[in-house]
Amino acid sequence: MRGPGSLLRGRRWPYVALTGLVSGAVAWWAIPHLGTRTRLTVTYQGNDIGPVLPTLSLDTLVSSASAQVMLLAAAVAFLVQLYSTKYMGADPRYRSYALLIVLFLVAMVAVVGTDNLFVLLIGWEVMGVCSYLLIGHHWERDDAQSGAAKALLVTRAADIGLLLAILVLGQTYGTYSISQILVASGLEQPRNATLIGLLLIVAVVGKSAQVPLQTWLPDAMPGPTPITALIHAATMVAAGVFLLARLLPVYATSEVAMTTLAVVAAVTMLSAALFALVQSDLKRALAWSTVSQLAIMFAAVAVADGTAAIDHLVSHGVFKALLFLGCGVVMHTVGSSALADMGGLRKAIPVTFWTMTIGFLALAGIAPTVGFFSKDGVLEAVHHDGGARGDLLLAVVTLTSVLTAAYATRLWALTFLGTPKERHRTAKALAWPLLVLALAVFALSIGKPLHLGIAALSTGASVVGILFGWLLRKRTFESRVSRILTHELGFDRIFSGLIPALARLKARTVVWVDDTLVDSYPRGSAHSALGAGWLMDRFQSAKAQLYATAIAVGSIALVAYALWVGR
Amino acid sequence: MPLLFPLLVSAALFGIGLYGVLARRNAVLALIGVELMLNAVNLQLVAYDAWLGETKHTGQVLTLYVIALAAAEIGLGLAIVLALFRARGTVDVDDVEKVP
Repeated sequence: MRGPGSLLRGRRWPYVALTGLVSGAVAWWAIPHLGTRTRLTVTYQGNDIGPVLPTLSLDTLVSSASAQVMLLAAAVAFLVQLYSTKYMGADPRYRSYALLIVLFLVAMVAVVGTDNLFVLLIGWEVMGVCSYLLIGHHWERDDAQSGAAKALLVTRAADIGLLLAILVLGQTYGTYSISQILVASGLEQPRNATLIGLLLIVAVVGKSAQVPLQTWLPDAMPGPTPITALIHAATMVAAGVFLLARLLPVYATSEVAMTTLAVVAAVTMLSAALFALVQSDLKRALAWSTVSQLAIMFAAVAVADGTAAIDHLVSHGVFKALLFLGCGVVMHTVGSSALADMGGLRKAIPVTFWTMTIGFLALAGIAPTVGFFSKDGVLEAVHHDGGARGDLLLAVVTLTSVLTAAYATRLWALTFLGTPKERHRTAKALAWPLLVLALAVFALSIGKPLHLGIAALSTGASVVGILFGWLLRKRTFESRVSRILTHELGFDRIFSGLIPALARLKARTVVWVDDTLVDSYPRGSAHSALGAGWLMDRFQSAKAQLYATAIAVGSIALVAYALWVGR
Repeated sequence: MPLLFPLLVSAALFGIGLYGVLARRNAVLALIGVELMLNAVNLQLVAYDAWLGETKHTGQVLTLYVIALAAAEIGLGLAIVLALFRARGTVDVDDVEKVP
């Protein structure tokens, strides 16, 4: 690309430098907190002052978990920015695109690092807006527009839950400081645990695309692929898991909240894995895979193991970013994201093939990738729980592991194996963000604990899944049963039927109120004016004798009255 | 003569006059009704004048005024009726309200 193109290319490095600066600052901040146990030094002042007004403060609270998530977000954002210089460099709106990535990172860091619930809410909402803008980056396309609008509407609707949860927390504990709330919930039996837990779950179900609000994430796929890697692997959807893990002590005592979370996680992970299995589109399948993996993290939260959840969050962030960036290369090479157009790419893009293979291995949970160890942690957590909830989750997570390995194998085989098809373009995106992430998939697994029995179970599940996936790889899902799955259980149809119906009902009610109640006042005044006019008209009949009669009767009445009074 | 007799006659005259004004459809007869009512008043004025023994006879003076007034009024009224008859060919009061 020469001429205007080279000029554009020359202008891309400032954005990379800016992202590098921000990421570096975040890393510099986060690294000292890694692996340390946070000691909450604040003293809880008690809630004798009654309701408190919303307060904003710039206090920070960085635990080891926050540091991990921050590092993940910073690293993925930087790699995505670097990758985008080639992938999106020629885009006419590269500037806004690149700056939104930085804003996204800053918002995520605000959510993860703040001590103040309202700063958290602001970061949370800024991420929502950024994801809306980035998903709708190619707004010339209808699917990008509708996907962006859907993401915004669904997450915004669920965000009401977060706002309410924050207000209830503030009224319950008399403070909006997270550290104070955590200290307070450690001192005594947490209050309002069920209410707060359920409200938080509502917020997180929207943000992290869990059942029943899961449909926005796959529809967000028209966004640029690097953005998908950033938003839908490492930052936005991860914020939900992080929030639940951080505020775990506040609601962990509530059986209702934890069971709800467990049920949501179980239903989501299974259904999303099934949807991923039958997809005919690589990127959409990866999106469903994200939903399913997020549900596995929530399973860990549901047995009150925040650490396992965050571990899986970080590991998933790494390998899913790798998979999405690789998917970007594949899409660039093939010119579409449909699996039918792929096949035989092993020779065409060897680096992508090998790195994505590592990513798929991590997704399937094969040792020694980080995906294996973090899933091991989650399985151990649900096994360790021992209760009915833990047992249910253990079974569902294991089943999901089988399905995950199956769809990973199927996607891998359909993309890279088989006979090559005609190519239109060659890959231009940078290869080495992929290499860095592939390295991280192994590097992060160093020193992770291993639970032998669980490891055997999970490896067995993965192997079964891989065999299953290998057998399924040629199948297209056309039968009646699988069509239910390819239509994703009709959630979209339910929403697109239900929400307009509700809106129509509301509109009809409003019209009825307006027509019947509100309009009765103006209409009544009009009618009374008409009636008065009619009455007046009766007296103005232009019949002289009638007037005279009225005068005579009136006079007689007056006289009679005067006589009666003067008696 | 007791006051009652002229008052009764007066009341009868006024009643007949009022009936004429309110109920007759012929404009001339309605005017006659007006005259009857005026004269009922005149009769009362004279009767009270005599009964009260007024030295200045204000009642009789007022009666003369009313007679003069009635003459003027009937002149005007009959002129209107005549004009009406010429314009419409009828002197029915119910038809007057209709715009030709």
